[in-house]
Amino acid sequence: MNRRELLLGAGAAGALSALGASSTRAQVSSARARIVIAGAGAAGLSLASRLSRQMENATITIIDAKRAHHFQPGYTLIGAGLWQPSDVTFRNADFIPSGVEWIEESVTEFDPDANRVATASGRVVDYDFLFAATGLVLDYRRIDGMDESLIGKDGIASIYAGPDAAAASFREIESFVDKGGVGLFGRPSSEMKCAGAPLKITFIADDRARRKGRRGNVELIYNAHAGTVFAVPPVNDKVREMFAARDVAVNYNHVLTAIDPGAKKATYRTESGDVTLDYDFIHVVPPMRAPDAIINSPLPWQEGALAADGWIEADKTTLRHPRFANVFAVGDVAGVPRGKTAASVKWQVPVVVDNLVAETAGREPTATYNGYTSCPMVTAYGKAMLIEFDYDGTLIPSFPFIDPLGERWISWLIEEKGLKGAYRAMLRGRA
Amino acid sequence: MADFDPVTLYFILYESLGAWLFALAGAAFLLLVGVIVTALRLRRADRPARKPVMAAIAATVLATAVFFFMVPGWTLAGIDALSGAVDILFATLLALVPGIAAGAIVFMLAAGRCAARSVRHPVAT
Repeated sequence: MNRRELLLGAGAAGALSALGASSTRAQVSSARARIVIAGAGAAGLSLASRLSRQMENATITIIDAKRAHHFQPGYTLIGAGLWQPSDVTFRNADFIPSGVEWIEESVTEFDPDANRVATASGRVVDYDFLFAATGLVLDYRRIDGMDESLIGKDGIASIYAGPDAAAASFREIESFVDKGGVGLFGRPSSEMKCAGAPLKITFIADDRARRKGRRGNVELIYNAHAGTVFAVPPVNDKVREMFAARDVAVNYNHVLTAIDPGAKKATYRTESGDVTLDYDFIHVVPPMRAPDAIINSPLPWQEGALAADGWIEADKTTLRHPRFANVFAVGDVAGVPRGKTAASVKWQVPVVVDNLVAETAGREPTATYNGYTSCPMVTAYGKAMLIEFDYDGTLIPSFPFIDPLGERWISWLIEEKGLKGAYRAMLRGRA
Repeated sequence: MADFDPVTLYFILYESLGAWLFALAGAAFLLLVGVIVTALRLRRADRPARKPVMAAIAATVLATAVFFFMVPGWTLAGIDALSGAVDILFATLLALVPGIAAGAIVFMLAAGRCAARSVRHPVAT
């Protein structure tokens, strides 16, 4: 945004405000704190934007080696053949606010006892407050025989690995639909980002086959990792009903453990032992975990369900670390029950920022995060369900006129036309 | 919904449309000014606005109907994607944007001709 556009925009925004906007003015703090943000993903950039505005005297450092930024919610639309990788690729440099120092290295060590982190080059950065927003690791190698380089070959797809992998996945879907055969879908048993995406890609493959008049030539099987296809009961019921109506078979308690790309066989761990299924196409969703630097630090949960994959221990309502009070975990790496989506970041970031601002300004921090997350569940080309829910699995629709369990074009409109702008505004701390 | 205040919506629209947002806002402003100026000309010429208004309404309805069928395509979907009342309502609202623009242009043209004719052939009083 250049100066001229900013002035025009500010004028327009001011005029809109004057029309009766209900916008609440953000609180500020004049504290001279040293703040380190580990990670320049959705959470990291959004944190940097808000903190730089609300804590003008703070010294803010963001640490991440990545220069490209990807709008990951768009991967499904690339996998559907509708978007191109360039549609979801931005530059981190365009979103880092002025006055924020960007160290273009990865964090290799977290030392919360000494209040410092170390980077790949050995540089040590001290902090008063740390925001851990490193994102997560797609651990394809935990599936025997699987490797990221296999995506786009021999019927193997995975939209998670990046925009190019999503594009390669679409080519595999097309080839599968044209040739026919058995298509396997599923998700890992680990915590994962966007748990709706494995379902979306199943619906897309089904609809693609129908539109090409090839549905009778493909057999689609969804291998659910647990006894449900989705953790939120009303959504689970709805998706099961839709799968039944669309002739998508479901196997429950099937976790992908191995793949033989040459023989096109996939092995699943089930309650009754290992089961091997033949496939012509498989969409692989890898197990996910915290980055090594987090796992090797004192930050992860020490026990409980979230300890295994190294997720950072955090109070689920404030995202503050219970053992290191000056550490907050935001985004995918946060060890909270739900919330590995961009929509969660949108609600998490204002909570941690407002609480830090209040605390450093001598006020009581009162903001809380209710676990909000959102999944615009694409159910066909042109249709989606706008599903939003909280920690309790209660559906909390933002728009009262949109039925969260109804397949609607309006929800697709939000997915296809609305989310990217909202996401970019979020990165700038404006949404 | 409470989170979608006008300022937030502005930033979302700006990030979605970029500089096109200002081009569209400018075009909307020019059309509004054009309609007001033409209406004033018509009034000064003491000509009835009925015919230009009817022409504008017809153009709006026609253009909205045409764009209604194009809106799903704009979202990379087919017309069969519109499956409920809320879908039809929002597709209509979106189609109204170019529809109203077309109506405004037709009003300006028709009202302008009307006013000019009045200058050439003054109405006897």
